[in-house]
Amino acid sequence: MLDIGFTIWFVVKIFAIIALVIYSIFAGVVLKQIKMMTDTIEVGFETPILFIGLAHFLFAVGVLVFALIIL
Amino acid sequence: MTDIYVSEDIKKKKHHAHPQPPEPPALDSLPPEPKTKAQREKLPGHSHNPLSAYCYYPENVNFETRESEEKVVLMMRKHPITNLRWIVSSALMVLAPGVLGFLPFVDSVPPNFRFIGVLGWYLITTAFVLENFLTWFFNVYFVTDERIIDIDFYNLIYKEVSEAEIEKIQDVTYKMGGVARTIFNYGDVLVQTAAEVPNFEFLAVPTPDKVAKILQDLRIEEKQEALEGRIR
Repeated sequence: MLDIGFTIWFVVKIFAIIALVIYSIFAGVVLKQIKMMTDTIEVGFETPILFIGLAHFLFAVGVLVFALIIL
Repeated sequence: MTDIYVSEDIKKKKHHAHPQPPEPPALDSLPPEPKTKAQREKLPGHSHNPLSAYCYYPENVNFETRESEEKVVLMMRKHPITNLRWIVSSALMVLAPGVLGFLPFVDSVPPNFRFIGVLGWYLITTAFVLENFLTWFFNVYFVTDERIIDIDFYNLIYKEVSEAEIEKIQDVTYKMGGVARTIFNYGDVLVQTAAEVPNFEFLAVPTPDKVAKILQDLRIEEKQEALEGRIR
């Protein structure tokens, strides 16, 4: 007999992983965009902004990896 | 025959009878262009803060299309108070998982899914904060001694840079209205030009009256340079 609970959470897991992969790509695009913008304008705050973008990207990848492990 | 000798008393009386009219008060003129770093430091509106919304003769500021001799007179972005709405929303988003944790259906979700759900929520919150901050930070208006430049960063994947020469400015108007704008002294400066981009809007910038005055002075200076044949 098919375990409905297992199937539902398996589907949720697949959707969660796909969403996190898309989010990680988005975070990478944001980082690239920040790099482009800091090349366009220099106001003396480039390093912290790039660091924030990089931290966001690493956070997204970290959550994806963590989801792959625990889900 | 006229008197040759005039007594001191009569001189004084005449002087009092026709007093010199008082000199008109000087108009609120802008300080002259600073030649040294010390002069620059003393300018009103000059700031070292890279997050400043208004900086007169900023230092260490550069942009992609800047020419070697071009001087940045003014750098502006939206008044910081305009960020209040998204900051409040972000604070509520940060607190949301703690509040939603009390809802009864949350207990039916397996703990590992719940944990990833919370992390996913904080990712979305981070993206929201980042997008709003970057949109504010990179939406910059520059006024140089040659051009006005409007750098728009509409969202995380779209930007637009438009510029017009100072000599092509036709009209400058500014408007301030509303309670917040009056209290915090910010407003919109609208610049009409004969350039490819007919309208420039410096939205919600601090002290719009000073910005309009600076643009006016630069226009006059540019016309003067054109008359004297000092065009770069």
